[in-house]
Amino acid sequence: MNAKARIALLLVLLLVGGAAAYVYLVPKGERKAEDDKTPKVTTDPKTYVHVTIGEPDTLDPAYAYDTASGEIIHQLYDSLFDYENGSLDKLIPLLAAEVPSVENGLISPDGKTIKVPIRKGVKFHNGGELTPEDVEYTIERAMISDPVGGPVWMFFEPLLGVQTMEQVIAMVGGPEDFTDINEVDPAIRRKAFDLIDAAVEVEGDYVVFHLANPYPPFLQILAKGGGWSSILDKEWMIENGDWDGQPDTWAKWFDPTKEEMTLYEKANGTGPFKLQAWDRSGGQIVLKRFDDYFRGPAQLETVFVKYIEEFNTRQLMLQSGDADSIYANNQYLDQLRGIPGVRIIEGLPQVTNTALMFNFTIPYEGNEDIVGSGKLDGKGIPSDFFADVNVRKAFAYAFDYERYLKEVANGAGKIATGVVPNTLPFSNKDGEWFTHDLEKAEQYFRQAFGGELWEKGFKLTLLYNSGNNARKTAAEILEYNIESINPKFQIDVQGMQWATYLAKMDAGSLPVFFMGWSMDFPDAHNFFDAYMRSTGALAGYCGQALIDLAKAEFDDLIAQAMQVSTEAERQAIYNELHKKAFDYAIAVPYIDPTDHRVMRDWVEGFVYCPAYSANYDFYSLSKKVD
Amino acid sequence: MLTYITRRILFLPVVLIGVSLMIFIAMSFLSPAQLVSAYIKSPEELKNQSISELIEKYGLDEPMWKRYVGWMKNVLRGDLGYSVSANMYVTEAIAKRFPATLELAFFAAIPVVLGGIWLGTVSAKNHNQPLDHASRIFAIVGWSLPDFVFGLIILLIFYGVLGWFPPGRLSVWADNVILSGNFVQYTGMHTIDSLLNGRFDIFLDALRHLIAPTITLAYLWWAYILRITRSSMLDVLNKDYVRTARAKGLTEKLVINRHVRRNAMIPVVTVVGSMILGLLSGVVIVETVFDYKGIGLLIAKGAQRMDYTLILGTSLFYGVMLVLANLVVDILYAVLDPRVRLE
Repeated sequence: MNAKARIALLLVLLLVGGAAAYVYLVPKGERKAEDDKTPKVTTDPKTYVHVTIGEPDTLDPAYAYDTASGEIIHQLYDSLFDYENGSLDKLIPLLAAEVPSVENGLISPDGKTIKVPIRKGVKFHNGGELTPEDVEYTIERAMISDPVGGPVWMFFEPLLGVQTMEQVIAMVGGPEDFTDINEVDPAIRRKAFDLIDAAVEVEGDYVVFHLANPYPPFLQILAKGGGWSSILDKEWMIENGDWDGQPDTWAKWFDPTKEEMTLYEKANGTGPFKLQAWDRSGGQIVLKRFDDYFRGPAQLETVFVKYIEEFNTRQLMLQSGDADSIYANNQYLDQLRGIPGVRIIEGLPQVTNTALMFNFTIPYEGNEDIVGSGKLDGKGIPSDFFADVNVRKAFAYAFDYERYLKEVANGAGKIATGVVPNTLPFSNKDGEWFTHDLEKAEQYFRQAFGGELWEKGFKLTLLYNSGNNARKTAAEILEYNIESINPKFQIDVQGMQWATYLAKMDAGSLPVFFMGWSMDFPDAHNFFDAYMRSTGALAGYCGQALIDLAKAEFDDLIAQAMQVSTEAERQAIYNELHKKAFDYAIAVPYIDPTDHRVMRDWVEGFVYCPAYSANYDFYSLSKKVD
Repeated sequence: MLTYITRRILFLPVVLIGVSLMIFIAMSFLSPAQLVSAYIKSPEELKNQSISELIEKYGLDEPMWKRYVGWMKNVLRGDLGYSVSANMYVTEAIAKRFPATLELAFFAAIPVVLGGIWLGTVSAKNHNQPLDHASRIFAIVGWSLPDFVFGLIILLIFYGVLGWFPPGRLSVWADNVILSGNFVQYTGMHTIDSLLNGRFDIFLDALRHLIAPTITLAYLWWAYILRITRSSMLDVLNKDYVRTARAKGLTEKLVINRHVRRNAMIPVVTVVGSMILGLLSGVVIVETVFDYKGIGLLIAKGAQRMDYTLILGTSLFYGVMLVLANLVVDILYAVLDPRVRLE
């Protein structure tokens, strides 16, 4: 061996030797227990490590609409209300001093005025004290910024009866569409702001909300959940360059990009943890305990949320005790069962569902690869294929719900019974819904298009976005069953790159597609609105014929349900909507999935709330270490 | 030589314009609705926002030439744009991720180059003997193994079973220190920063985290260097001047070290140059398996999401790197072979 080779070997040995020296020479106390890889798995009881996937989009509550952002915002901020022990049945005051009700006089008899007393003595992370002005500022700041695609519609709808700031501007005589807010007359902008300002007011120790119409889930919108109702410190926000609260300056902060927003990567909330660092190059967020938290300091001192896409790495970290909890997709749970010291909590109810959606008006041009001939001739499908209710019902009856639940979802969930998940009040618990019944499917196929469809058959391509194996299998289940009914029925299942799939969606070209809907707030309205209203989030992808049907049959009922004063009246309206959803088969939710958590068995105090974006409420957690 | 270097550096903008134009032309085949996929990860994210709103917001429906001109203007101002997949500005993303890759490439290059050359030399010296076969089989097995599989095996053995070399760049306690605000990150390379901050414990921890990916990369690349070194050495070993050196009575060690290896290094330098550039552009799978947050992981994620801003920015960055790396290789040629003159 020559000199250079010896040097090479020496360098390798130095690397290995350095690591060995580290393991044996650096005092264990300095390395801390979670770094110890001795066979006995140990952990630091004051430091929690959660390893998951997908980094937050932003930490600004007015912009964040994804669960990863909600997970962090949840720990940094508080809202006016919370759910008692995670149960959706009862709200408790958090930053509010009391939960308003008609009985305690804080909600007016007509349901349009809500007074919220604000708790005193609550501190922000910077030492500032919570005031009712902070609450008013938070809501108004969200509304004047109204980032496209953000969650702020949840304030606009109850307070002003619209969905966006643009609609408010149109309400006060401004243009219905504009590309730059600065093009809008300042007098119009002022009028628009005055509407917002009048909707949220401070009266002494109270914040008063003036609603456009009664809106039963309004308190849930203000509760701890997704993050949008997280209360900010007005003074600190202004100091940090955000909107100054003045009526004539707001345009500067309207529809910003996420990185332009003040709270994109910093935070000053009243929550149990402070943001120490968002290490985006290292893919981790570090939270430190807020010792002045008004409910008392958390038991954990430091929380690391690490973002690691590779499951095997996450698994090994959990196994070795370097992670206290990890995100694991349903398909990996079997791999984790039986690992000593690992606990899996399953069957956690979610307020979400996944549905088979139909396009009532399928374009032909540019869509030949999917609709074939575009005619009812056995070689394709016509544009109005799914406008025939018999076809929709036949598809709904052809889907094998049990098999999907068992083989694809691994039993994690319940078969859906309507557009509203079973975890919510007003779901379709007793009404009729679709089951797997090939005889009925055949019967409806025979009736479709006056019997012509049965005679001629059809050819259709079912698309899914590549990589989504659950949806691929759902499409294959449908393919298998429908083709077994009549040999003239041909379905091809085809994966498509996400970008191309998205372009097809945009063009309204997907004849059938799968879509999941997760609640914004735990109320049936959120689901009826999404699935059945003409202006709902999903209607745009289902063609003009569905929009027309929704306008004629569903919109009024959905609106009425929000304005009635008793639950019985709401139930009656929702029963009617459930029946219409079934009769028209506008969408076919096929599973109400349940959730699960994977953690070390030393983790204690886990509280689950289906309304939280956060998978874990770190405030409630502690680690029991011998 | 100075003229040659100046000319090559002056050629750089032409390369960069060519690279960016090629990417823009490729992008022109995509519709705005396809490009918007960078901003939307799944159908569920479409709630409360329409695809057309997003297209309008990000100007994806503007003609390609207009977008190119706008982008170029920003580049000239030093702004490479905002990357949706990295969730930060492209320049910031490169600045934050590249040091990690550089650190890994540096530590991996040492065993790869020295080990590969040594193995190649051993093979050539023992041509067609058992040692030659053994070293070639050893290296070729490494070359043939999928990096994902080998990385996982290394992770499983050295972390899952032995608990020696964990994934990531630092342990939690060390992360806690460097993110505390009292630790200055001068370079973004933990081994250097820890020494500059006087934290030898963090230096050792960073080294510990580098070992498993380094072993993986070394084993995967050895065959590459071995093969070139071996064939080049065999070629040189048959030259007349080597026979002359032996005839003069020089020791075999002296012949190999002074007359053979140095002359055999020219093709090796070429492949080492491209190998190091390959390492610097990120080793996606190794970075994924070992959760080593380098630039390779970033680019792969950006490409998956069709994050063209990031792809353009990193392409420009690597355009510069490529030109500079080739320049360094050319200069090394001249150093190794006095007959080569750079003009």
